[in-house]
Amino acid sequence: MQLKIEFPRYAEHSDIVSCVSWNNTEEVLSCGDDHLLMKWNLITGDSQKVCELPNEVFPLDFHSFSRNIGGRKQTQEQLLITSSDGRFHLVGKSGRIEKSVDAHKGAVLVGQWSPDGSSLLTGGEDGNLKIWSRSGMLRSLAVQGTGVPVYSAFWSSDSTQVLYTQGKHLVIKPLTPNSKSNRWKAHDGLILKVAWDHVNGRIISGGEDCRYKVWDMYGTPIFSSLLHEHSITSLAWSPSGDLFAVGSFNTIRLCDKSGWSHCLEKPATGSLYCIAWSTDGTQLAAGCANHKLLLAHIIGRKVEWGQFEGLTTGRKSVVVHDVLSDGSDALEFSERVIHLALAYKHLVVVTTTQAYIYSTSNFNTPIIIDLREGSVSNVLLSDKHLVLVERTSLSVYNFEGRLLSSPRWASLNTATLNPSHITLGPDTIAARDQADERLIQVLDISGKDIGGPIQHSCGVMEVGLSQGGKTNLDILLAFVDKTRDLFISTVYTRPTAFRRIDKLGSIVQSFKWNSALNIIAAMQDSSLILWYYPFILFVDKRMTKKTAVIKDASEFGHRPRLMSFVDNYIGIQRSDGAIINSGVSPYVGLLHGYASTNGWKEALRLCRMVQDEALWSCLAIMATQAKDIETAETAYAAINFYDKVLYIQHIKQNPIKAVRLAEMSLLGGNIQEAEMILLQNGMIFRAIMSNINTHNWERALEIAVRHKTHIDTVLYYREKFMERLEKPETNEKFKELRANVDINAEQVEKKVAKEYEMEKEKS
Amino acid sequence: MSDPVASLGLHFDEVNKLRIIDPEISKQTLDLKEECNDFLINIDSFKTIADGFIKLIDSLAKDVEREKMKGIGARNLVKSMTKQREAEEQQLQALILEKSTELERLRIQHQSLLKTESEQQEILDRLLLNH
Repeated sequence: MQLKIEFPRYAEHSDIVSCVSWNNTEEVLSCGDDHLLMKWNLITGDSQKVCELPNEVFPLDFHSFSRNIGGRKQTQEQLLITSSDGRFHLVGKSGRIEKSVDAHKGAVLVGQWSPDGSSLLTGGEDGNLKIWSRSGMLRSLAVQGTGVPVYSAFWSSDSTQVLYTQGKHLVIKPLTPNSKSNRWKAHDGLILKVAWDHVNGRIISGGEDCRYKVWDMYGTPIFSSLLHEHSITSLAWSPSGDLFAVGSFNTIRLCDKSGWSHCLEKPATGSLYCIAWSTDGTQLAAGCANHKLLLAHIIGRKVEWGQFEGLTTGRKSVVVHDVLSDGSDALEFSERVIHLALAYKHLVVVTTTQAYIYSTSNFNTPIIIDLREGSVSNVLLSDKHLVLVERTSLSVYNFEGRLLSSPRWASLNTATLNPSHITLGPDTIAARDQADERLIQVLDISGKDIGGPIQHSCGVMEVGLSQGGKTNLDILLAFVDKTRDLFISTVYTRPTAFRRIDKLGSIVQSFKWNSALNIIAAMQDSSLILWYYPFILFVDKRMTKKTAVIKDASEFGHRPRLMSFVDNYIGIQRSDGAIINSGVSPYVGLLHGYASTNGWKEALRLCRMVQDEALWSCLAIMATQAKDIETAETAYAAINFYDKVLYIQHIKQNPIKAVRLAEMSLLGGNIQEAEMILLQNGMIFRAIMSNINTHNWERALEIAVRHKTHIDTVLYYREKFMERLEKPETNEKFKELRANVDINAEQVEKKVAKEYEMEKEKS
Repeated sequence: MSDPVASLGLHFDEVNKLRIIDPEISKQTLDLKEECNDFLINIDSFKTIADGFIKLIDSLAKDVEREKMKGIGARNLVKSMTKQREAEEQQLQALILEKSTELERLRIQHQSLLKTESEQQEILDRLLLNH
């Protein structure tokens, strides 16, 4: 990835440029010591003076914020300028100073709107950090000054914490009163700039010790740069959180979020006082000491899928390379390319006003979609659909370019939607709710809600929908919560069971579904783990470990990250940026294929040839799930589960089909499912007995009472059970019924025997 | 000697003309006058010569000054040139570093791909054997 730098020549400030900010994707605002506020339009290539600030105002920091009011297109922009005379100013779109507020003793060094736009913070030379309402009324004194100036500060993504510098230390301070702040020594010199990414929660800091460092949100060091020649004067995260830019004297550097450098440029600009990214993450602007405005484009973004490779080679050009045929296609566009996505045999190129959909079989005739707003922040692809995340809406298209729906839910705010919080599966979209972090919204492709949102017990960090399966019932949702536990949930409700959620693994750093099968790979701690059949959680949970394969992680180094899982290949990116390819046994895919088409004979033959325990376990579980008794028996025998084999043989003796199905469910420990099958088939006695046999006394009694049969049977067995344990009855329900019901042991035995007789007769 | 004419303050010159001033003195005065004239002329010519000289020196000084500035400028240019070279060198070094780390990354990726290839070859061999 590279930076293409240019300097607009059509105008110039007459003194150093100390602040820059993006108005929208094509307009930059800049301000300098010459008191001029300038607006630069990058398309038309002209600049205009917005206003002249009063002579005593030397701007130090500024931040623009646009908020939507009511309608979609109406936005109100407000600019916050802090200055060296201890005041901050709120400037309207027209350039009129709406309000000036005395904020600090000495200069106000930093000012920033909160991400939700409801408040703003200022930090000054007096060491105070203050929170203000958006109209400029003092809300609270977040940090009482210790005399150490606050050079830089940043809001957290949820606006509940602030990060600020204190000399050589960094401090994260929650805004709720009486909460403890986290303070750590970050640099050997004064820290001048700090930035907090709102997508991954990473922090970058840089200062007079001529280094920049990357931290996670708890202050754990992730990366420390080499010694630079000059102090680091500016830092900024890209909106997507995968890149950041570092500015210093005559230096601008583009880095990966892990800290390693993509590229370094040495423009003769003097110090870069301020760097700002455009909201689409493809351009950045910087204010320079030599009175110039620096503009840079990111080129060289790369996407890969199977044999194809897409690369942006310029602002308006993309080259697609086919590795197998060694052919290249150069695609030229009339507008700037913002986004590039390549998956499922389709390449989607998003420019400022249009989206081009190419099939990988033909790069000559794209399908062109006119964008609604023209500011796409994310593109999601699945087998048949694509989702464009725009500034105020989500749109679902098919690959023919037809708009299918625009899903919405109450808390949806696409402008701040985190890319890892939304996922697209076959016919399904899932996204973490933005108001309640424990909620996951699940919608189908037409935008309809599927069985209500999924509620989790703690905050969800990342979501992913499986891509495989034949029917909607096979779709699974995986998500990682705040404690880094990986959970799997069914999405569509089944007739026999409600939506189920279960935990698959813990300490999961990242996970990826396979592009075509319901196989999930995850980085657990520092090893790679593959679950060949995650649905196992809802079939036979205790077997989960048997169907998982753990790969040694030594070659993956420190903090590896899963990048892709396409076909039989997993791409893992190490923290130094190297991508490691890891192969997955091709037999798993075959097995999934046979299982989904009920080709059990072929599946058995495959497993016999490969002789892999994980594969046999998968087959056993798949067969159990599909209730194919013969195959399950063979598979369990192959992995030495004699108890299961014996039980299956016991099942086979039973002539009634419904009972066999229920028993197969019991085999996996799914008592509820078994009970439901029995009750649906009117076998109340069986249902009661299965609960008795699993010592599920209360449930057994409940069913008996509800259907008014066999109450005495339940009580009789319970009594026998308690006698054997030599304990008195403690359960109130049983005590109560015991007093009212007479139990005749002989009669009960007879009744039970009669039920079994009746069953036999029926069959 | 007491000359009555002399006592009256009158004198006779060689051609016996009556004179008020002692002809000796008068002659000396005339001489002086002439010498003074000579001196004036001399001074004049000296002045013009000196003026010319000063002008020359001035222009020379200007030239020297200009050359000096030029020299300083050139020296600074050379100095900044070395700095510029240093910056360029740094940029190139950074480029080399980037490229070499990129190479290292690609090498690792290549290695892992080779490993995958050998794994797949193994599977192929096994399939062929089983057939």
